[in-house]
Amino acid sequence: MPSSISYLLFASIVLTVVSGVAALSGRAMIFHKLSQTFLALSGLVGMVASAAVLLSPETGLNFSIASAKFSPVFGLDLFGAIFFLLVSFVSVLCAIYAVPYLRSYKTTYHLPGLNALSAAFVLGMQIVIVSTGPLAFMIGWEVMSLASFFLVVSDRSMESVRAALLYLVMTHLGAAAILAAFLLLAQGSFFSDFSSLAGLAQTAPAWILPISFGLFLFGFGSKAGLVPFHVWLPEAHPAAPSHVSALMSGVMLKIAVYGFLRVTLFILPPIGTTASLVILGFGLLTAFYGVLYAVLDRDFKRTLAFSSIENIGLIFTMIGISFFAASRGLEALFINVLSAAVFFTIAHALFKSGLFLVSGVVVRAFHSRSLEKMGGIAKRLPVFSAFFCVLALAAASLPPFGPFFGEWMFLQSILEHFSLHDPFVNTVLLTTFALTALVGGLAIFAMVKLFAISSLAEPRSPHGSDSLDCPSLWEMIPIGVFAISVLLLGLFAPVILALMRGETAIPSPWLLSVGSSAIHPSVILLLLSACVLAVWVLRRLVSRVEHERMYHRWDCGAPVNASMEYTATAFSAPIRFFFRLILRTKKIVSVEPVLATNPWIVSKRFNMNLRSIWMDFAYLPLGRFFVGLSLQVKKIQNGNIRFYLFLIFAALILTLRIAL
Amino acid sequence: MTTIVALSIQAILVLILSPLSIGLVRWFKARLQGRRGAPPWLVYTALLTTLKKQNVMSESASWIFRFVPFVVLGMAVFLVISLPLLFLNGGLPQIDLFVLAGVLSLGSVFLVLGGLDAATAFGGMGASREMTIAALIEPVALVAFSAFAVVAGSSSVQDIFGNGMSIFSHPALVLSFAALILVALAENARYPVDNPATHLELTMVHEAMVLEYSGPYLALLEYASSIKLTVFLVLLGNLVWVKPSVSLDFGTVGLAVAGVLLTLIVGSAALALLESSIAKMRFFRLQEYMSVAFFLALSGFILVFLL
Repeated sequence: MPSSISYLLFASIVLTVVSGVAALSGRAMIFHKLSQTFLALSGLVGMVASAAVLLSPETGLNFSIASAKFSPVFGLDLFGAIFFLLVSFVSVLCAIYAVPYLRSYKTTYHLPGLNALSAAFVLGMQIVIVSTGPLAFMIGWEVMSLASFFLVVSDRSMESVRAALLYLVMTHLGAAAILAAFLLLAQGSFFSDFSSLAGLAQTAPAWILPISFGLFLFGFGSKAGLVPFHVWLPEAHPAAPSHVSALMSGVMLKIAVYGFLRVTLFILPPIGTTASLVILGFGLLTAFYGVLYAVLDRDFKRTLAFSSIENIGLIFTMIGISFFAASRGLEALFINVLSAAVFFTIAHALFKSGLFLVSGVVVRAFHSRSLEKMGGIAKRLPVFSAFFCVLALAAASLPPFGPFFGEWMFLQSILEHFSLHDPFVNTVLLTTFALTALVGGLAIFAMVKLFAISSLAEPRSPHGSDSLDCPSLWEMIPIGVFAISVLLLGLFAPVILALMRGETAIPSPWLLSVGSSAIHPSVILLLLSACVLAVWVLRRLVSRVEHERMYHRWDCGAPVNASMEYTATAFSAPIRFFFRLILRTKKIVSVEPVLATNPWIVSKRFNMNLRSIWMDFAYLPLGRFFVGLSLQVKKIQNGNIRFYLFLIFAALILTLRIAL
Repeated sequence: MTTIVALSIQAILVLILSPLSIGLVRWFKARLQGRRGAPPWLVYTALLTTLKKQNVMSESASWIFRFVPFVVLGMAVFLVISLPLLFLNGGLPQIDLFVLAGVLSLGSVFLVLGGLDAATAFGGMGASREMTIAALIEPVALVAFSAFAVVAGSSSVQDIFGNGMSIFSHPALVLSFAALILVALAENARYPVDNPATHLELTMVHEAMVLEYSGPYLALLEYASSIKLTVFLVLLGNLVWVKPSVSLDFGTVGLAVAGVLLTLIVGSAALALLESSIAKMRFFRLQEYMSVAFFLALSGFILVFLL
């Protein structure tokens, strides 16, 4: 049995490669379709394989080049299977979506290159998950990073190139940190696999562990978008084509979470209280900062990117709390919160990929990413907007959708452990609880802004006024599948949790329990829909439905138009005002008189900049420092060949002095 | 079986009584301001009249606009059929405080969507303000509820509000109770957060959102807000005095009904007194209100551990 699963897994990876090859075969549309078909097939096969591993967790399988000399290079255990399933599921839907979506952009993008790179991107993520040693892991990691770099520049605009270069620098600093940490841990034996690395870590000198933990946190954190290493994320994710943004935000960030958990759970010895508090601190900072900017941003895809930062922050908060619990000996809290983190990761992959696919359709319809130009989708595309609404409500962690139950598990397990008489634990838990609740409230705001401003009321630009570009059936299906899957994720949360933990016997498929408290997701869903339905029926009984007329909106007697509607800027103004000490937005109102004689007739221009405090106070000064430093270094390059010879000689002497 | 019958009695009673709470508040307020005031049951007539009126739909509105009244009233009905309002231990045990907070938010979110969908500046303004209030009051509600949950030893709403726990039996909860009052005022769009009796654009929040609704839809929304007010009054009342436990004999039910009626009268009088004695806050000063509420809830939580 395990061997057949490993064949499937191998077939999935080979099909991804085939998809890339098919893409490069030519510019004709047939190759585009072929490539996406192979990618979808690869994902389907991958889903079957990882589902098989999940259903029989004792078969943590190893496959491929197993000879006497090398330990197996690739393998898939239960933990990896969860993430492999996620990658496969999202890439199937993104591939289906890409067929009509990219066809409408065939003049903007170089399709063969784009498709080959997408395949390489998926391949990189697959390799990262199935690798069982640092070497294969790093190769997969680099394939993923480089492919996504080229995907970000794929529309070849100046803006994308800038975003991509920033991304390249950050991702390679991160990759270097991870590599350095692996090298430090391996202490010379680089071809070891993760399990022997874990053995080495047990006996490693005391100074290595904190350093490698810090390097791992920076490496994986910069990929995941932890504040303050997040600056590339809101630039790079929106610049890519939308189905790639979906893969980047929905899955690539999860690969970073996977890597971090793989290292901290399976390789490093149990990290202490301090280290867990560091993770927790980064997580809370990221969540809070991300959600504030998600509320304020006026760009559809950047809002989603900031919301991803927020969600990653929540996931790292959960991870931090679970390690904190482990270090304080609270076993139940550790297990429950860790499950909540992984569950929320799954939920985030589903709703965020779905929302990015939605963004592709919306941005194409309005020819702009700016929320200020959108509106009126719900009236013109009702079914599409219903899916969008479900995904946005799910992203706001509202019941009865999947993410709500992830947060429920997290907050519930914290609540369960308050009664312990340990002031330190209580303080940490209370701070986390209060901040998570605050972030949750603001996340609702961000998602309502995204949905309401883009979908409701009248379009704020002429593009959407008569007709919107309808999404084709094959674009609607993946979006619909994501929308339904977040609902099902909530409904079947108990089963999914049991599978995740590798429990073969599911105690009760409808009961989600943490400690002594339990809820029934199905009962909640049923009650909510029954209440709405009951109201609907009663209204039909007590009042006449046809007693109705259409009329223009209330206008106080003077005609109103779409420019008087609330915009995203106006909608989020109260939050901008309330948090102005943190946000430091820059508002410029310039007034120019139209007539020199009349001071009252003026034209006003309004400009508002959302500044990033990390850019302004950390990255730009740091950049200036390095530029200044390199200008100083440049002084030794004075063009005198004898001076260069002297430098070489001095370097040689120095090397010999150190080496001998 | 007893639970289901008890819940049905509770649902029918609360659904019938809830417009009365709005009427009572208005009547008490009028009396306090030296007016004679309309009789409290005028609200029923008003609701029934609105229900019969023609429904005027905005041409800009989409399916969301039609969907909103059903969801908002549906969420209010959800509260009525799941919370322990009438009897001790008379609610659904599956509902915990996170679900309660989530359902409250769901109602607010749909109200906001309805406000924006009509494509008027008024609707947008109300929606933006309501969303701000809802987003910032949710953490306060969660922290305040959690303090009760820690004392009750369970996060189920049943054990928090329906277990005979009161601020007299657990004095440590007094700060959390105060925070909960602030939450109730904000959730129900009352003073000092919102003025329910105005149509001035500078002050209104809830009214601005429902401005474009008319006829039966308006009736549904008004009814929903009266249910929400009633539910909050009864829940807060439950933390002050004790209800009878579930039992279907005539005397107990009568006692429970009398308890709810008394709660409504006392609660509306208190609300009217509050609204007559303070001014509405300027909207951009609400951050102070929210901060006070948040830190009150946090201190209430810490107090639970200290005492």
